[in-house]
Amino acid sequence: MNHLTTIVKKEVKELLTPGSVASVMIMVILFACLGGLIGGEISKNTELPVIGIANYEDQVVDTVSGEWNAYEMLKNIYINSGIPASKIDSYVFKLDSDDLLTEMTEKGLPLALVLSDSFKQDVESGKYGKIYQYYVYEPSGMISGTVSSTVGSTLIGIMNKSLSQYMVGSQEEYAHYSFIVSPIDGSGTVTYIKGVAHDDVTPSAISSALSGQTMLIPMIIMIIIMMVGSIVISSMGSEKENKTLETLLTLPIKRTTIVTGKIIAAAVVGLVFGLAYMIGMSFYIGSLTGITVDGSTVDLAELGLSLGVADYALVALSMFLSIACALGICMILGAFAKNYKSAQTMTMPLSILAIIPMFIVMFSGWYGSNILIKCLLFIIPFSHPMMATEALLNGDVTLVIAGIVYMIAFATVAILVTVRLYRSDILITGLNQNKYVEKLLGNGKHKSR
Amino acid sequence: MTDALVLRDVRKTYGQREAVHGVSLTVHEGEIFGLIGHNGAGKTTILRMISTILKITSGTIEVYGKDTAKESDEVRKLISYLPEDAGAYKDLTGRAYLSFMASFFVSGEEKKAMVEKGIQLADLGDKIDYRVDTYSKGMMRRLLIARAIMTSPKLAIMDEVTSGLDVINAYEIREVIREIARSGVTVVMSSHNMFEVDMLCDRVGMVDQGNLIDVGTPAELKEKYGKETLEEVFVTAVKGA
Repeated sequence: MNHLTTIVKKEVKELLTPGSVASVMIMVILFACLGGLIGGEISKNTELPVIGIANYEDQVVDTVSGEWNAYEMLKNIYINSGIPASKIDSYVFKLDSDDLLTEMTEKGLPLALVLSDSFKQDVESGKYGKIYQYYVYEPSGMISGTVSSTVGSTLIGIMNKSLSQYMVGSQEEYAHYSFIVSPIDGSGTVTYIKGVAHDDVTPSAISSALSGQTMLIPMIIMIIIMMVGSIVISSMGSEKENKTLETLLTLPIKRTTIVTGKIIAAAVVGLVFGLAYMIGMSFYIGSLTGITVDGSTVDLAELGLSLGVADYALVALSMFLSIACALGICMILGAFAKNYKSAQTMTMPLSILAIIPMFIVMFSGWYGSNILIKCLLFIIPFSHPMMATEALLNGDVTLVIAGIVYMIAFATVAILVTVRLYRSDILITGLNQNKYVEKLLGNGKHKSR
Repeated sequence: MTDALVLRDVRKTYGQREAVHGVSLTVHEGEIFGLIGHNGAGKTTILRMISTILKITSGTIEVYGKDTAKESDEVRKLISYLPEDAGAYKDLTGRAYLSFMASFFVSGEEKKAMVEKGIQLADLGDKIDYRVDTYSKGMMRRLLIARAIMTSPKLAIMDEVTSGLDVINAYEIREVIREIARSGVTVVMSSHNMFEVDMLCDRVGMVDQGNLIDVGTPAELKEKYGKETLEEVFVTAVKGA
């Protein structure tokens, strides 16, 4: 076994401890559960909630088509949504408007519809009839809060149409009336993608369909970078604290072998952990994207918005190089870590460098950013794999290639600096005893005897 | 007598501060040479320069005729360095640690033999298969000395080798050092413990503020300064009393 393999094997063994594997697995499970939880919450909120209705008894409206009863109408909506007629009383409750809150609280109703006292009279005399929506606010997350109020408005909308139909008369007359009210059909859409026209698809639907990729990839890259960074810097801090690094440096091994061994081991472990996170995160993101997609499916391949084999190869190369850049930075930062504790704080600059492009790419992307933000994105090497998918989908291969060239240069410089640091005293003495730092701080002017 | 280690006007500067001022000394093969001095005197810096992990600002160091600056890779094949308060990789067992270290010197059957030698030197019994993070300080020191010696170095460099150990452990470690010196290994060690150096070392170098102020056998130094103990010798040499 050569020296490099020995170093890699030892590093991997040190990094893949039962504790580190368990913490990653817990995070993966947490993400997956969180995804399931959010998914469940979304589906729960798209279902019709249990509801109450009050002040409807004497409000049956006489129309040209017959009597329109708000309670019966509400029951029909629920039955048409798939709720068995035998169980309807468990979904639609008759309430007393004088004691609304108590009844809603007792029955656990988040929503109740209350007709105004003059509802029947108003509608029959050509005035707007009022139905009030009463909600019981309960502290809840973003999703559960918004969806239930949407359901309330939707129910009123359906009731509105129904009463309207009753008031207009026959189906033919209603169709004619609907046409008079809205004679323009704006449902037909055409979107140009890369100069080609595509029918019945909107930019927002495309964005929703792409959001899985545009959110998932930057998050995964950020996690891998932070994880790899933490692994390498902590390993360096630990080696210094235990003085195992001093021993290692006096063994008959080349410094480049030590540096390469540490980099390879961290990359392997980082990728394994990153992959695990990706699986957990895909569950999580999958549930989040469900919020924005309006139910219609968009075939990205049909729109020419999918990646080919060469594109995937470029994205993979870009990811690999960004990890190499991260490892280069980490080895440099790790060289200055005094011990395991100080190593933890050293990861901060790397985390910031990983988080900034992630947010920019997720929220505005390369193409939506101004020139200053673009410069910032280009300079930070971790941005490139985050932007690569969007760029390739837009046919902008030049940006991806330019990023790859930049990252090769960046990683080369970082690794050369690392090897130089390993050959210098800084690794043992730290920065405080460096002449440039002393000059900068104005220390050490005296010369001991 | 072969010269195992030769330092010629060795200087070390940290930033703008000179920590070692022109140290020159020679250590002969099979000798136990002790460096004594108070904290921050420059002992560890001298040992680290000999071990090739710190660069020499000026002067030369030769280990068995090999220049530490120009032939550092060759020098590392001849030496074994044990830093003060050193540890081992926590997730490895004692045996795995010795095996890991042996991998950088030999392979196959030779490696097995080297690890076996290390296990015998460490003398940790069945604890050799326990993780090193369960070891006491004394056990850890035994393991690290075994690691330093099993590779049959020509020069063993040990920094504060018994520091923090109880009486029994310190005694046993000193016995191990005597044993390895008898087998022909040259030992250069540093210590605060004058009693230990007096008992163990063939010759002693006194270091103060980066200067090597005197060198000799313990007996020679006591005679020269007219003192009973090495401790009194050191205080007299440093304070001039």
